[in-house]
Amino acid sequence: MTRAIVTHDLVKVYPRRDRPWWRPAGKRPPAAPAVDGLSLTIPAGQVTGLLGLNGAGKTTTIRMLSTLLRPTTGSATVDGLDLVRDAREIRRRINMIAGGERMVYARLTARENLWYFGQLYDVPRARLTARIDELLALVGLSHAADQRVEQFSKGMRQRLSIARGLINEPSYLLLDEPTLGLDAPIARDLRAVVAELARGGVGVLLTSHYLAEVEQLCAEVHVIAAGRLVARGTPAELTALTERQHTVEITLAAAGASADQAVQALAARTGAQVTADTDEQLRPRYVLRHRHDLAGDLATTVVAAGGAIVRLEVTPPTLEDAILALADGARQPEAVAA
Amino acid sequence: MRHALRVIAAEALKQHRRSFGRPLVVASMLLWPVLQLAATYYTMLPVLDTPGIASRWPDAAQPARLLAFLAAGAFAYLFYFSLVQSAWHFSFERISGTIELLFLSPASRLALVFANGTGALVQNTWLAGCFAVAAASAGGALHVAHPGMYAVAALALVVPAIVWGAFLNSLLVFSRDSAFLYTLLDDPLWFVSGVRLPLFAMPLAIKAVGLAFPLTSSLIVLRGALLDAQPLSALLEPLALLTGLCALLFAATAALLRLGEARAQRTGSMQLY
Amino acid sequence: MPVAWATLKRNWLVMQRAYPWTYFIGTLAPGVFTVVLALLSYEAIGGGRVSDWFRGASGTPDYLGYVTVGAAALMFTTRMVLWVAKAQITEQREGTLESQLLTPARRLPYLLGVSLQAFLTSLLELTCLFGTALLLGVRLPAPDPVTLAAGVLAALVAVVGLSIPVSAIMIAAGEAHITQNTLFCLIGLVCGFTFPPALLPAPLTWLGELLPATSALRVLRAASLHAAPLGEVAADLLLCLGLGVAYAAVGLLFLPHAERRAVIRGASA
Repeated sequence: MTRAIVTHDLVKVYPRRDRPWWRPAGKRPPAAPAVDGLSLTIPAGQVTGLLGLNGAGKTTTIRMLSTLLRPTTGSATVDGLDLVRDAREIRRRINMIAGGERMVYARLTARENLWYFGQLYDVPRARLTARIDELLALVGLSHAADQRVEQFSKGMRQRLSIARGLINEPSYLLLDEPTLGLDAPIARDLRAVVAELARGGVGVLLTSHYLAEVEQLCAEVHVIAAGRLVARGTPAELTALTERQHTVEITLAAAGASADQAVQALAARTGAQVTADTDEQLRPRYVLRHRHDLAGDLATTVVAAGGAIVRLEVTPPTLEDAILALADGARQPEAVAA
Repeated sequence: MRHALRVIAAEALKQHRRSFGRPLVVASMLLWPVLQLAATYYTMLPVLDTPGIASRWPDAAQPARLLAFLAAGAFAYLFYFSLVQSAWHFSFERISGTIELLFLSPASRLALVFANGTGALVQNTWLAGCFAVAAASAGGALHVAHPGMYAVAALALVVPAIVWGAFLNSLLVFSRDSAFLYTLLDDPLWFVSGVRLPLFAMPLAIKAVGLAFPLTSSLIVLRGALLDAQPLSALLEPLALLTGLCALLFAATAALLRLGEARAQRTGSMQLY
Repeated sequence: MPVAWATLKRNWLVMQRAYPWTYFIGTLAPGVFTVVLALLSYEAIGGGRVSDWFRGASGTPDYLGYVTVGAAALMFTTRMVLWVAKAQITEQREGTLESQLLTPARRLPYLLGVSLQAFLTSLLELTCLFGTALLLGVRLPAPDPVTLAAGVLAALVAVVGLSIPVSAIMIAAGEAHITQNTLFCLIGLVCGFTFPPALLPAPLTWLGELLPATSALRVLRAASLHAAPLGEVAADLLLCLGLGVAYAAVGLLFLPHAERRAVIRGASA
C-alpha cells in the first residue's frame, strides 16, 4: 500500500440553516454542495497544493480530511484507514494548522499550551519536554516560552498555533492558509519548515492565497472551483495549460509613422491584440498580447523601422492567471444553470 | 426635539428587528419569572400557616392575596430587569464597535440612551404585561379605589423604569465590563426592593438602601394602588420620592454622558471595546 | 487518564489567573439572599415558627437548616453546571474547540478533568456560603460524616451527569444563556431546594424525581440535618447514582453529533 491520503468522490452538503425551526420547509432549492465529487491523492513526502477562489471548497475539504467534518457521501482513506470509521486513529497521524491565531489558550503560556496538547495527543512523556523545546525554537518562541499567550502579538499566537499543529509529529499536515498575516521572515521560515517536513516523508496539503508560496513548495497542485476539481498538475503545467497571454509593453522615445506602421503590421501578421496610447511623458506606448512572447520580434521590427526603444517589459502568464481562468471556466456553466 | 423623536423611533425599530419574537425574550420575560415566582411562593408557604399571622401580615392570611403580592413584585421587577438586560445588549454594541458609530452621528446622546431604554421596555414587557393583566383580572386580585389609579400605577412603574434604563446605559459609556450589571443589579435589586418580602419584615438598614432604588417606591405605589385600593392621597409620599429619584437619575445620566464622551475622546477607550 | 489530569491542571491554571468573579458573585448572591430571605420571613412573618405540616412534608422541623442546605446544594449545582456544561461552548467561543476535536483524546476524560477542578473550586466556594449563613445565625447540627461524604459524591455524579447532555445542547444550539438559566429556574422549582417538593402539583413532583438533584438533596439533608446512617439513605443514593450515570450516558451518546453540528455552524458562518 502506498502511503497517501486518497479521497474518492467526496461530497459535502451543509444543512440549510436560514429557516427558523418553527416554519415548515417550503419549496426551497436544496443547498448547493460545498464540495462536489472531489477525488484527490495526497501522497506522503511531498507538498500538494489545493487552490481555488474564495468559496471554492478548500476549507471544507481540509476540515473533512482532518475529521472535523463528516463527508455527506464519498469516502477517504489515510494510509488505508477509513476517514469516518477510523477517525480516532487518523487523528493521531494528522494535524491541521489554520491561519489566524485562535486555536490556542490565551490564559496559558506557550509551553503550557504545548504541554496540554501533548497530553491530548498522548505524546510519550519522555519525548514531550524535548519536543516542546524543539518546536518553540522552530517557531522562534523560545524567548517567550513562559509568557502567557494573551500577551502575545498576533504573529506570535499564530506561530504557537503552528507549533501546536506539529506537536504529534503528524504523518500528514493539513495547512489552511498557514501564513495568513505572518511577517515575511516568519512566513519564509515556515515555508522552509514545510519543505523540510515533506523531504522527511510528511504528506502536506496546502491552501494559500500567496501563489508564490504554492509555486515554490508544491510538487503538484489541484485547482478546485465550486467544489469540483477543474485541473491538476505541476505549477508550470497549470500555467501552460491555460494558454494565458504574454503581455509585452514597449515605450518609444518619440512618435514616428514608420515605427507605428511596423508595430501594427507585426500585430496583424501574428494575430496579437494591440493597444496604443502614450505614457505620462506623452511618449508613444504599445501593449501587445499574444500566446507567445513577442518581445524579440517586436524590438527587431521597431528598431528596423527606425524607432528608439525607451522601455520594454514582458509579463509572462502566472499561476494566478491560470487559476482565475480555470475558476472562470468552471463558473460559467454554474451561472447558466442557476 | 423633532430630531430626538426620530432617534427614538429609529432606535425602537432597531430593537424590534433585533429582539422581537426571539427565544431570549420569551424565556427571560415570561418563563423564568413564572418559574421563580412559583419557587418563591412555595418557599414562603411554611412560615405563613403560623399562629398570629393575620396580625403580623394580613396579606398572607389568604394564599391568593400572597400570590398577588409576590406576582406584583415579580412583575415590577421584570420591568427593571428588562432594562438591565437591554443595557447588557447595549454593551455588545460596544464590543462589536457599533457604539462608536452611534457617537459619530449628531444624534443627541441623551435621546439615544433614553430611546434604547424605552425601546427595550416596550419590546420586552408587552408580553409579560398582557399576561399579568389577564392573570390579575382572572384571579380577581385587583382592588382599586378609583379608575384613575390604574394610570397612576402605570406611570409610577414605567417612567422611573425608563429613567433607570437610561442611567444604566450611560454607565456603560464608562465601563466596558457589563457583567457587573447582572451580578450587582440582579439579585441585590430584588432583595433590597421588597420584591419578595414586605418592607416591614426587613431590617432598617436594608430598607434605607432599598429606598435609594426607584423600584422600591414603584412597587409601593403599584401594590398600594392595584391590590390594596389605596387612594392617591395615601401614596403621595412614595410618589414624591419617585419624582425626586427620577430627577436625580436624569441629571446624573446627562452628566455621565458628557463626562464619558469627553473621557472617551481623550483616551480613545471607546474603540478598545 | 493523562487527558483528565492535563485538563484538570489546565483549568486550575486558568482559574488561578483569571478567576471568574462575576460567576462567583452571581451564584453566591442568590444563595446568600435565599438564606437571608428565609431568615427574615421566619422571624418577621412566621414569628419564629413554621407550620405544623412542614415537618411532615420535609422530615425536619428546622426550616432555616432545610433552606440553608438547599441553598448550598443549589449553589453547588449551578456552579458545577456553569463549569462543566459550559466547558465546551466556552472552547467554541474562544476558538479552541476545533483544536480539541482534532486530537484523538476522548471526551469523557476531558469532562472528568473539568469536573474535578470545578468540584474542588466549588467546595471552597461553598464554605463562603456556609460561613455567611453561620454569621447570620443559622446553626446546623453535626452531620453523619460517612453519609455526608456519600451524598456529596452522589451529588457530584448527578450534576456532572446532568451537565453532559446540557453541554451537547449548548454546542449544538450555539447558545448557553437561555439553556442554563432555564435549567436553573426549572431545577430551582422542581427539585425541592428551598421547599418540600410535596407542595408542588403532582406532575411537577414526578418531573423532579427524574432529575438526579432531587434524590441527591434528600441524601444531603438526611446526612446534615439528622445525621442519618448510610443504610437509611441507600435507596436514594442508588437512585441518584443511577440517574446521574444515565444522563451521562445519554449525553456522551449525543455529544459527537452535537460537536459535528457545532463545527458545521462554525464552517458555514
